[in-house]
Amino acid sequence: MKFGLTEEQRLFREMVRDFAAKEVAPLSKQVDEEGIFPQKTVKQMGDLGLMGVAIPTEYGGAGADNVCYAIAMEEIARACASTSVIMSVNNSLIADALYKFGTEAQKQRYLIPLASGKLLGCFALSEPGAGSDASAQQTLVARDGDVFVLNGTKNFITNALEADLALVFATVDRPLRAKGVCAFLVEKGTPGFTITKVEKKLGLKGTSCCQVLFEHCRVPADNLLGEVGQGFKIAMVTLDAGRIGIAAQAVGIAQAALDISLRYAKERVAFDKPIASFQAIQWMIADMAVQIEAARLLTYRAAWLKDKGLRHTKESAMAKLFASETASRAATKALQIHGGYGYLYDFPAQRLFRDARITEIYEGTSEIQRLVIAHQLLN
Amino acid sequence: MNIVVCIKQIIDPEVPMSQFKIDPRTKRQVQGNNPLVISPYDANALEVAVQLKEKHGAKVTAISVGGATTIAALKSALSIGADEAILVNEPLLAGSDQQGIAYALAKAIQKAGACDLILTGCESGDWADRAVPGFLAEELDIGYVGYVTRIEVRDGQVVVRRVVEDGYELIEAKTPLLAAISSDETNAARYAKLRDIMAAAKKMIPVWKAADLGLDLERIGAGAARVAITDVYIPVKESRCEMIDGNTPEEKAAKLAARLRELKLI
Amino acid sequence: MPGTLVLATTKDGRLTRDALELLAGARRLKEKLAEPVAAAILGAEVGSYVPLLFAHGADQVYRTEHPLLEGYQGDAYVIALHQICERAQPTVVLLPGDVMGRELGPRLAYRLQATFVAEFIDFDLDQASGRLQFTRQTYGGKAMAVVQPRMNPVVATAKLRTLEPATQEEGQTGEEIRVDVALEVSQLKTRLIEKVQEEATGINLGDAKIVVSGGRGVHGPEGFRVLEELAKVLRGAVGASRAATDAGWVPPSWQIGQTGRNVSPELYLAFGISGATQHVAGISGSKHIVAVNTDPEAPIFKVAQLGIVGDWKLIATKLIESCKELLRSS
Repeated sequence: MKFGLTEEQRLFREMVRDFAAKEVAPLSKQVDEEGIFPQKTVKQMGDLGLMGVAIPTEYGGAGADNVCYAIAMEEIARACASTSVIMSVNNSLIADALYKFGTEAQKQRYLIPLASGKLLGCFALSEPGAGSDASAQQTLVARDGDVFVLNGTKNFITNALEADLALVFATVDRPLRAKGVCAFLVEKGTPGFTITKVEKKLGLKGTSCCQVLFEHCRVPADNLLGEVGQGFKIAMVTLDAGRIGIAAQAVGIAQAALDISLRYAKERVAFDKPIASFQAIQWMIADMAVQIEAARLLTYRAAWLKDKGLRHTKESAMAKLFASETASRAATKALQIHGGYGYLYDFPAQRLFRDARITEIYEGTSEIQRLVIAHQLLN
Repeated sequence: MNIVVCIKQIIDPEVPMSQFKIDPRTKRQVQGNNPLVISPYDANALEVAVQLKEKHGAKVTAISVGGATTIAALKSALSIGADEAILVNEPLLAGSDQQGIAYALAKAIQKAGACDLILTGCESGDWADRAVPGFLAEELDIGYVGYVTRIEVRDGQVVVRRVVEDGYELIEAKTPLLAAISSDETNAARYAKLRDIMAAAKKMIPVWKAADLGLDLERIGAGAARVAITDVYIPVKESRCEMIDGNTPEEKAAKLAARLRELKLI
Repeated sequence: MPGTLVLATTKDGRLTRDALELLAGARRLKEKLAEPVAAAILGAEVGSYVPLLFAHGADQVYRTEHPLLEGYQGDAYVIALHQICERAQPTVVLLPGDVMGRELGPRLAYRLQATFVAEFIDFDLDQASGRLQFTRQTYGGKAMAVVQPRMNPVVATAKLRTLEPATQEEGQTGEEIRVDVALEVSQLKTRLIEKVQEEATGINLGDAKIVVSGGRGVHGPEGFRVLEELAKVLRGAVGASRAATDAGWVPPSWQIGQTGRNVSPELYLAFGISGATQHVAGISGSKHIVAVNTDPEAPIFKVAQLGIVGDWKLIATKLIESCKELLRSS
């Protein structure tokens, strides 16, 4: 059992860390305060291969492995959670799905530009009535000659505003539930595909979270991903892998919380001493560090299993569950360590606190993760 | 066209003062948790080389004198665009002064093969003697221009732009030429693409020793160093800044002007 | 004749401040080593500088004239200096810590098989060994190093704007030694094609009594127009930190810091400059430093005497007004 990173994984981490510190972190405050989509950064990330880390180079990706993806996600998230989510949606939810289930024509047409950052993707599964209960799809799809017609509403779609391509899930027949779901690649600008609302969120302010409407939206038959009725499986397999990205993101946010806590604890003086010399603070820091390390190792292991082509459903769920709850705890403690300053917008603690919270909810709530883990153990 | 870039791996010079410590025994900076990086101006030099490669199809070789950790820096150079990398890892070089290092570099460059351009950073991010480029040019008996920010190749002639006190100069040079690179907006070090990092990680980097280079041992190491470093310390600074207050920036500025007048500075 | 040899430089018909700083340093060395001070002056026609050099403390002047020495060219200067040193046999050669000196220093040291000392800010005799030792900044200005040459001669570059320049004294004279250098065009490996001036207010950064400087916080080239106006009102020069020159907002020759210029004005105004040690290394000779920055934790406030936390543009704009008023009323 080897615990170390390979040489290329280490070089990877160095480069991404450097990039994150110099290009991503300086913008994070502004991205959050003004709700700006970090356009320039996303383009730079595309050029470097960060938008398709584990996609092979012949399909426009960086040709790296999932451990490298987890490393890259952590380093970017450490600098700016919003930027990291843009990256994870593109990598895990779209590029990965296309790579696994796409036809050669679809890969040439969409995967290459997605993985190289020339196109941005979004994942449209959630609906007002179908969140954790993803198989309760209400969006309908009907065949009309060589075209599929979509009708329905999707919500909580990350990146929808800026995305060029959406992976949309719809059912041929509602009573069929999971068995009727199909997946479609829908280009932005297709008539009948409109964004009806851009939500105001607590955190991840640099990404858009939208309600989307499909009204007689006609999609070419060639844009069906996989088979009819295979959609639910595609969604589940994709989310499985997506959990690794979110786990890594949560580790990054938690690490950022630890970073600022260490810095502040050494500088802030109370009772004639830096607060880092007080046991109460030391214990908080130690607990944070232990949990972050554990979350990181769980994440790497899930990534490693995926790289080996082994089943990783349970491990991804464990990583996502533990890392996201760690991020929330770490961010809460970081805010506490900062005292009154933690509550001010001038300081980064509050942003981490707000950004961390969603990791326990999206891409499978902690409750769903617990069900997945239990199911794996009991069956 | 063949370009050699000499790079040095150093402790990240951007670490805050709180993490900067000197080991009183070795009289050098303690690495601690600080990362190792390519010396910043060397990274600019690499960028200039890679741009010339992209424009004129040159071959770029990165050479470094260092230790085991230096392999990572050379891999980084490969992933940014160097075609080959060479490490000179010779324990007997420890304690060498800049003349000793330049001598070893010169022998390595000669062994690597004929080249048209040799690029270095204009100063290292740590010790900053700014001496190695000059010594290297003398060892190789070639032309040398310092503080070069841009290099152009026109009809086999090399024209460099270099920064001087009141502006810049355009200098034409015969090859082979050694240029010590300084930074401007055209040569900011690029980030390596992830796929290139993957490819570089697989490359073999030859490691040369004194015997491979035929080094005269009398010219290297602490024994040959002409300068003895007797002390390195962090100076203690007293600071007393009078902060000027006010309700508006305009008020603060007016007070500043008055204070400067008081001090007879304006 | 052992002694200290100084490379004297000239500009616009006068000895540069760099030359006077080196001469002052050489005179101090004379006190310590009890060896005479010589100055080397290179150019096409340099006779007029000889009496000036005597007046500022040179005991000997090596007058070196050759058409190829008109204007600095690396190979020509190193060949000439080498020949001068073979004649003069100096113990210590002092060169200015400018672009030319930094290029020449190691090259000359190599040819003389001398010890090279870079960018010293001070020197003394070590009590214990009786040897000369030099103090220099290192690690980007974060630390000081004390170095001792193990063998003579020593070729050293002096950090500019650190030593007080030598003063002129009446009735000083000395020995003029004419040096005929053997120098041919074929020995020159580079050729100057063109020189472009880039000074903002026409005032040399190294000589200015007031310097107005901008950094990353200025956010772009337009901001520097405001700083230029302030500099014009105060009759000063404009400089910049490395962040600004790397971003291409202003020319690299405006950079103040370890890689760029060293300045020692009466007043240094730093706008939107964080105060990285390698920048501070370039302004340590300033008599008064004023810093304006939005970040109260910026390191520049640890070296400034006067500070304002606030938006640099609003403050600089208002400062222009206030200064104009003050200068009008006086």
